[in-house]
Amino acid sequence: MRIKEGFLLREVAGSYIVVATGALTKEFNGIIKLNETGSFLWKKLAENTDTQALAFALTAEYDVSEEDARKDVESFVSLLADAGILEK
Amino acid sequence: MFTIQIADLVVELNNRFSYVEELCREYKVEGKQPLFSVSATEEEIDEELRISGLSLPRAYAEATCLHRHIARRLSEYGAFLLHSAVISCDGKGYAFAARSGVGKSTHIGLWLKCFGNRARVVNGDKPIMRKDGERFLVYGTPWNGKERLGDNICCEMKALCFLERGETNYIERIGAEEALVRLFSQVYLPEDAVASAETLDLLGEFIGKTQFYLLHCNMEDEAALVAYRGMNKEDEE
Repeated sequence: MRIKEGFLLREVAGSYIVVATGALTKEFNGIIKLNETGSFLWKKLAENTDTQALAFALTAEYDVSEEDARKDVESFVSLLADAGILEK
Repeated sequence: MFTIQIADLVVELNNRFSYVEELCREYKVEGKQPLFSVSATEEEIDEELRISGLSLPRAYAEATCLHRHIARRLSEYGAFLLHSAVISCDGKGYAFAARSGVGKSTHIGLWLKCFGNRARVVNGDKPIMRKDGERFLVYGTPWNGKERLGDNICCEMKALCFLERGETNYIERIGAEEALVRLFSQVYLPEDAVASAETLDLLGEFIGKTQFYLLHCNMEDEAALVAYRGMNKEDEE
C-alpha cells in the first residue's frame, strides 16, 4: 500500500499539513493536520510499504515498544484507508 | 485585451466580455510590460456556470475565471489571496475573516462609522497579501465583493481577526496553531503542486509575522472599538 499520487505534505508554522493537488483536489478539499509521528509514517507511505515495515521503522526511530508501534500503525493506516487516501 | 496592475504586478487580461474591463477600471495601466497574461476558454466559463449553480451572466463567470487564473500565479511573486474584508486604520491593515454571513462587511462598516476619515476600506472580499521583505502588505483588488467595497490601495498588515457572532463583544489573541486551521479555510490554494507548496511556505511566514485574534461580536458600534483596542493593546503596554 501507498499514499495516492497528488498529496503534498508540508511543515507550516510548526504544524504538519497535508493538502491535495492537481486532479485530487476534486476529491479532497480541506487540510489534514498530522502530528510528528503521523508525518513520519506519511513520508514512509509515499513509497509502497506494509504495516510490518512501518511498525519496524517506528520502533527504529522512536522510543516505542513493538506492540505499541504496531497498534499505532494499524490505527493510522485504517484512518487513511477509510478516508480513501491509500492505494493498494 | 487590457492590462492591470494588481498587488504591484502587471497582468494582461484577454477578455471576451467588457464586464471584466469595467470591473478592473481603477487598476488599468498602459505602456507597461505584463509579467503574464490570463484568459478563460468557453469551456471554463461553462464549467464555472455549472459549478456555481446560479444563472449568472457569462460575462460575470468570465471575470471569476480570470480572477482564478491570476490567483494561481500569485505564489510566484510571494503573494496569496485571502478571503477577508480589510480595513486600513491610521495606515495599518486589519483583516477580518469569517464564514460567509457572519458579518465581515457589517463589521468594517462599523469601523468606518467609529473612526471616520482615519479608516478606509482596502477590500471587502478578496484582497491580496504580498510579502515585502520582513513584512506583509495587503492590496486592494477589483474583486471586492457584492457590496463593491474597496479601492486600489495598499498598506502594511497589522493583524488578522477571525469573527464569530456573540451576544457581547470580546476579543482574544490566538496562537499559530489555531490561526493556521482557521486561516486555511479562507486562503486560495492553487491546484498546481509547486504553486501549492509555495503558498504553504508563504502562509508559514505570514503566520510568523502576523498577530491573530478571535473577536466575538455583535452588530453594535462597540464591536469596532473592542476590536481596535484589543489589537492595539500590546503597543500601549
